Formats: sequence, C-alpha cells, structure tokens
Amino acid sequence: MVGKAEPVNGSVKSGSNQSIPAAMQSPLKKSDLIPNLSLKTLKLKTKQQELLIRVSILCLVYVLAFITRLFSVLRYESMIHEFDPYFNYRTTLFLTEKGFYEFWNWFDSESWYPLGRIIGGTLYPGLMVTAAIIYWLLRFLRFAIHIREVCVLTAPFFASNTTLVAYFFGKEVWDSGAGLVAAALIAICPGYISRSVAGSYDNEGVAIFALLLTFYLFVKAVNTGSLAWALASAFGYFYMVSAWGGYVFIINLIPLYVLVLLITGRYSMRLYVAYNSMYVLGMLLAMQIRFVGFQHVQSGEHMAAMGVFFLLQVFFFLDWVKHLLSDTKLFQAFLRITVTTAIAVGAIALGVGTASGYISPWTGRFYSLLDPTYAKDHIPIIASVSEHQPTAWSSFMFDFHILLFLFPAGLYFCFKRLSDATIFIVMYGLTSIYFAGVMVRLILVATPAVCLISAIAVSATIKNLTLVARAKNKVTQTGFVRGSSSLKGSSKASLDQSQPFQRNGAIALLLGAFYLLSKYATHCTWVTSEAYSSPSIVLAARGAHGNRVIFDDYREAYFWLRKNTPPDAKVMSWWDYGYQITAMGNRTVIVDNNTWNNTHIATVGRAMSSYENEAYEIMRSLDVDYVLVVFGGVTGYSSDDINKFLWMVRIGGGVFPVIKEPDYLVNGEYRVDKGAAPKMLNCLMYKLSYYRFGELTTEYGKPPGYDRARGVEIGNKDIKLEYLEEAFTTSNWIVRIYKVKPPNNRWERCSIFTLGPHCAALPFSGNVSWLGRINFSTNAGIG
Amino acid sequence: MRSKPETQSHTAATEPLSSTSMDPIFPLLRILPFGFLRPPKLRLKLPTLTLPSPMTVYALVLLTYFMVVSGIVYDVIVEPPGIGSTQDRATGSVRPVVFLPGRVNGQYIVEGLSSGFMFVLGGVGVVLMDLALDRNRAKSVKVSYATAGIASVVIAYVMSMLFIRIKIPAYLR
Repeated sequence: MVGKAEPVNGSVKSGSNQSIPAAMQSPLKKSDLIPNLSLKTLKLKTKQQELLIRVSILCLVYVLAFITRLFSVLRYESMIHEFDPYFNYRTTLFLTEKGFYEFWNWFDSESWYPLGRIIGGTLYPGLMVTAAIIYWLLRFLRFAIHIREVCVLTAPFFASNTTLVAYFFGKEVWDSGAGLVAAALIAICPGYISRSVAGSYDNEGVAIFALLLTFYLFVKAVNTGSLAWALASAFGYFYMVSAWGGYVFIINLIPLYVLVLLITGRYSMRLYVAYNSMYVLGMLLAMQIRFVGFQHVQSGEHMAAMGVFFLLQVFFFLDWVKHLLSDTKLFQAFLRITVTTAIAVGAIALGVGTASGYISPWTGRFYSLLDPTYAKDHIPIIASVSEHQPTAWSSFMFDFHILLFLFPAGLYFCFKRLSDATIFIVMYGLTSIYFAGVMVRLILVATPAVCLISAIAVSATIKNLTLVARAKNKVTQTGFVRGSSSLKGSSKASLDQSQPFQRNGAIALLLGAFYLLSKYATHCTWVTSEAYSSPSIVLAARGAHGNRVIFDDYREAYFWLRKNTPPDAKVMSWWDYGYQITAMGNRTVIVDNNTWNNTHIATVGRAMSSYENEAYEIMRSLDVDYVLVVFGGVTGYSSDDINKFLWMVRIGGGVFPVIKEPDYLVNGEYRVDKGAAPKMLNCLMYKLSYYRFGELTTEYGKPPGYDRARGVEIGNKDIKLEYLEEAFTTSNWIVRIYKVKPPNNRWERCSIFTLGPHCAALPFSGNVSWLGRINFSTNAGIG
Repeated sequence: MRSKPETQSHTAATEPLSSTSMDPIFPLLRILPFGFLRPPKLRLKLPTLTLPSPMTVYALVLLTYFMVVSGIVYDVIVEPPGIGSTQDRATGSVRPVVFLPGRVNGQYIVEGLSSGFMFVLGGVGVVLMDLALDRNRAKSVKVSYATAGIASVVIAYVMSMLFIRIKIPAYLR
C-alpha cells in the first residue's frame, strides 16, 4: 500500500477524512463549521487534503523536535553543557574571529603543555563550520547574535532537520504514513535527545543528521539507479566524515549491505551505479579532511569498502561475459575460475598490505566494538569513560520505551515485504542495535533505525486496523466499490458475519494503539525533563524543603582562574576538566579530553597518586603552577576526583609500573576512612581533596570530616601541605585550586638531614626519590 | 572439479565427454598424479547452498535481538551476579534482590533476561495480531491468534512498566 495515486473510486488513503467515493461529493464538514464562506473555495480534493494534513503534521513535528530540547535553556540559562562542547565552542569562536585559514592551520600551545596540539589537523571541522556558516548568515541578515547562542541552538535545529529526513526516508522504505510516524517518533525519542539538547554542542548533534541523510540518499540511489542521487549521497558522506568519527559505521555498513544484496541475488545495474559513484567520490572527498587523511586506503577499518568495490567490478565483468557467451556450461566454468581467482587475489593483497604495515590494523576504539572485552584488559582509558560501558536493559528501556516492542514487529513486516530498501533498513537496525548493546553511547546511532522500523510496524498495524474498522462501510456500498476493494485483501471484504464485533474490536485496538503512543510521548517528555537536560557544569539538587538548589562552583572556579592567575599559568588537573579550563579559564592545561597522549595522562595520574614530594618533582618538571581537583564530599557530589582516583592509578600504573593498584586498596576494597591503605591516606589527591576538611562539619549529627559522597568519616584529618598552598576553594567546596610553591629561593646548606628537591648543594640533586619516603625537610626560610 | 577425473581415470588417453574445461592446471593434473593414481568412485555432491527463507532468518534475528536487549554484552563484561542479595538488618537472613537498585545502567543477569523476554513477547504479540488479520486461515485460528496477540502485548507492556517502576522508584513522578 504505497501512498501513490490510486483510483478515485472508493480509494482509502490513510488520514483522509473522506470515506465516500469522490464521485459522490457530499458537503464536507467544513461547510457546516463555516457557513458564511463560499463552499467552493474550501472544497479541497482528496489529494490536496492529504497534502495539507501531511504538511501540517510535518510542521508540527519540526517545531516539536526543537522545543522539546529547550528544557535546560529555560531552567538555567543559555550555556554550553558538559566537557567536549567547550572545546568545540572555543574552536568555533576562533573560527569566527580569525577566519577559516587560521582555523585550518591552527597550532594550539594552550593545551597539552608542553607538547601543544595541532588542532587544525586533529579535529572534525563539520560542526564548527556549520555553526560558523549559520552565524555568518544571520549576521548577513543583520541579526546581531552572539556565537554562543548559535552554538547552543545548533543541535535542536539539526534535530528538526533530521525529522524531515526521517520522513523522506520512511516514505522511501515503506510509504508516506510510515514516514510521518517515523518523523514523529524520532522528534521526541530520548535516545537522540540525550546528545542533542540545546547546549550540547557536540559532533553527534550534526552527525546524526548527516548519517540519516547519507543513508536516505544512498537508498534512493539504489532504488532509482540515478547518478545524481548517488553523487548526492557522496556529498552527504563527505558531510558526515567532516562531522564525526562515527563515519566508519557508514563506510562499513554500506559495503555490508551491498554484499548482502549480492548474496541474495539482487545485483542490478542500479546497485552498481549507486555504490561505485558513492564510493569513489565519497572517498576522494573524505580525504580532504586532514584528520582523516589517507585512511580510506590505508586503514584496516576501511578495507571492507574497497573489497566490495572490487567485488562489484568482478560481478559486472561476469555479467558482461555472460552476455557475450552463449554457452552456459562454459560460462559456469569461467565463473568458477574468476570468482576463485578474484577472492584469492584479494586475500593475498590484503595479507601483503597488512603484513607490510601499509594497512594499519583496527584501532582500539573500533576494535573494542567487535571484541568488547578488549578495552577492559588492554586500554584503561577507553574502558574508564562512563559512556563506553556496555548497555543494560534499563538503559534500552529508558531510551526507547515502546519502540522496543515495535522493533521486532517492524522487522517482521520488513521481512514479509523484502525489497532493496527494506533489506537496508533491516541491516542498519540489526547492526546498530548490536553496537548499542556494546556501548551506551551508541544508542544514539541506533535511534534512527529503531524509530524507522517501529514506524513501519505502527503504520502497517494501524493501516490494517483502520481497514477492518472501515470494512463495514465499504461492503455495504454499491457493487463497484467491492470490485476495487478486493484488490487489497479478499478476507477483509468478505467478513460478513460478526461484523460489528470485528469493527468494535478494531476500534478498541486502535484506541489501545493511541494510548500506547501517548504513553510513549509522556515517557519521552519526562525523561527529557528529568534526565537529559542537565548541563553538567551546573549542578542542581533538591534542598531540604524541596526547593531547587543550584551549585555553580565550576564556573566560579574557572572565572577565579581567569581573573586571579598570571596569563601564562599552567594548570594541572585530571583530563576531564581540560577543555573547560582552557575555554572558560583561558589558561594552559597539561592534559585535556582529547586524550591523544596516554603517557602524558599517565604522568599526571602518577603525580596525583604519589606522595607529595614525588609529585612535586613531576609538577616542577611540567612547569605546573596550579593544581585543580574536584571534591564532592561537602555536597555529596559523586562524580568527583576521589571516585575517579582508581582510574588515575590504573592509567598511571599502565605506563609507570611503580604505581601499583593494590597499594591503594584494602582487601580489594577502596576506602578513604580510618581503615584505608596508608599510601591512599598520604597521596597527593587525598591531601588536596581533604585539606582542611577535617575541621568541617558537613551533616548534622555526624563527626567533623564526614565525607557525604562516600558516606564515611575520613581517615586522615590532620593534613599538612608542604609544597603546595591552597589558593581557592569554591563556596560549596566542589572545586579546589592549589598553587604550587616555587623551589626554595635560598641556597640552603644541606646536611644529611635536610634532603629534598629544593636543596641545591646536593651533588646529585634533582631526583632524590630513590631515598624513599624520608621527609625531614624543614619549612624554615621558604618564601 | 574433482569429480571429473573419475570418468576418465580408466581412459586416460581419450578426451572427457563433458565440455572443454578452461582450467589451465587441469591437464597437468591429469598427467602428473592422476596418470598413475586411480581416484575411487565416490558419489559426492557439492552441497548446494540455498538461501534460507525470510522467516527463518527472522526467527534467528528475533533470538539475537532477545540476547542483545537483555544486556548480554553487559553480562559478559561486567560479570554481575545472576541475582543480587541483601542482608536483612533485623534478622540477619539473606534475601534475594532481583533488580539492581540505584543506577540506570546496571543489571543482574536474571533481571536482564526477564525484561528482554517481555520485549520480545510484545513484539511477537504485534506479529500475531497481524497474522490474525491478513491470512486466509480458519476463523477459529484467526480468533485465537488475535486473542494471543492482544494478550501478549498487554502483558508485555504492563510487566515492562512494572519492572521499570521497581528499578527506578522515581519514574514518572
């Protein structure tokens, strides 16, 4: 039942409010409502009514997708959320201020001190360029908006555009009814909202739009065989490559889809044209992005596309030979030889390429998708990110709700009516659901597929039910109606007995379906409001009387850094906060969220987990002036550095074996109270977090020094800092900044009892940690 | 290609009755090992690979979906216990806890499997409803399909809501 033009007599279009054949145009309801206006101007034909309904639904869905993402802007203010978006914001600011050439060749010395970072060559520019273009367009129209507003609202704008693409995609795969339902579902689906709220200025906001656009254009190209659509999909792919590292999913799914089509015997000229044009042009365009470079011909993750490309040429060649040869047996033999030779040559080429090192193996990030246990054992940085954890059922339920029921039903409908387009959507759905099971973050990639397939189920079911509900009307009409309705399914038109029961049952089921969909809408709005609209940089909690208390400590600390430290000061913190410190505090950091250099992060981790004097040497070698830690003991904030501390130990221990994780645990348990390990009680992170905390009473009825995030009283309350001094603690003690003291100015006479890095007279001064943890140094004379 | 030599092993000099093969190595093979070796007469047939029917594939897909949505990857990596336990403070006895409290992204194995089952049940219910409407079957079969389908969907939805309310006490409040 495709939504194309059907015979006028007795045709039933979904959503049409005309159940009588158009030949008998009875006065419409409109004329009853507006008696004074001329009937003729308002009497729209069925097709026009349908168009009006479709367009109005799409407009409403477009607006809905935008406004449902505005919760945090209305509750707090228009600001950038989380950590990564601050880097994107900083680069966009740079782009709008200095221009594209400076941006493309930017070397940033303010992060990863002293290494610096080639920003122009290590980012995906799509998001920044998009926001800059929108900003320049608005400026051209004389709307004087700050770039921050544009950045905050880019993601909701592109979410609205995604709903439009989903409509067209649904129309391509099934029919326009399914397209409308898909647009409505994807507008409010929490899986997508989680990464595209207003303020979440991250690559995924734009990338999902590009992903769905590329897939839609490719499926359209395969369906029509037109070169124009295929080239358009190549440009869509280019946009995706420029926007997000997840483009690897496209460049592996499309070849897999082509392979499945070849296996199921659906090779056709349309497929040949579509894939070849898209692959060649897409690959050439993708190489324009410096970060991607030549990976399309060098990296193992992209080899599947190349393999399928050559396989398609083999298929075309065989087709041509078959066309030339008239002898089938000869052709069979030729076929066997060619296919064997082609596969053998391909395997040898792949082997030679991999062995010689030209083709690099799969990188850890993507390899851990195929073998989920890999990251846990080998790459602690990847395993430590909370978004990379595998998915539990409740995350699925939270993000999809009833779509989880409709997904298998939609798959059934797709399998019932296999075509090139439905095979694609089935493959997209299955692969993306598997990857969503491996990593929570990838639920985002699965969301469009789940919404589309569920839309197919909803549309097909509701269509069946409405047909049953209207069967009575049609059967009791004059005879010529029955002739046309028999095309659709004879069983429905011949339900003479128990008709009222059937009809009532169908109406009841329709009401049930609408009830389920309304519960879906309620769920999505609740989840968006409660779970996904928090700007992690501003914390909110419920006070004692139910009022909302806001903690703005992060921005307070960054602003203090910006105003009260010398401009060339260097700040050491855990890598989570690097982007925010550089963007808002405007100071140089040692490590940030890019995590491209594991050894550098391990050095910082080692410094945080060592005793104060060892850490002081590391900090002196890195020129650190300030240390920033996040502490949640006063507020009960659980994402602080003490809870992340074990990851610092693991990552540091991965590079420097002197740091051993069991030293910080007691019987395998991580504790900070009196029974904690002695190394834990004296390491730098502990001291910096709990300095002066032992004097503070945090909760009524508990002793001073009660840590509300861990729920215990801390073990070491009497903390003395020797090489650092406290510079700033925010009002709720969430962010604490310490200044690293310069080495002792005075040339001290050193005896055997005054040892330490500031003792210049020692012949082998510099690294005296080999003497162990003797700490006899005096504080006399240190200015 | 191995079945061809058996017809000509006795008549090494004569050409085979089948069409001329374009294989370049085949004449060499005919001379070298098979000039003096006689392969036995076997009745081997190359297994013909037929594509499975769509519904078979759909059944496999449903099984995979059940496993993924139950959180099997989470179970393999994080290795949670099958069912949790808590100690009753008053009596000291150990009570089982089915739903892992406190976090959205965490589960015990049994909890994941039962929720996954509910999701698949709901999907199968919608499929049964469609089977009830669209086929030329006996009317009683259609009625039973329809009832089973509706019951499945209702049960699956109610149970899923119950599970999520137990797991996240603040749900929809």
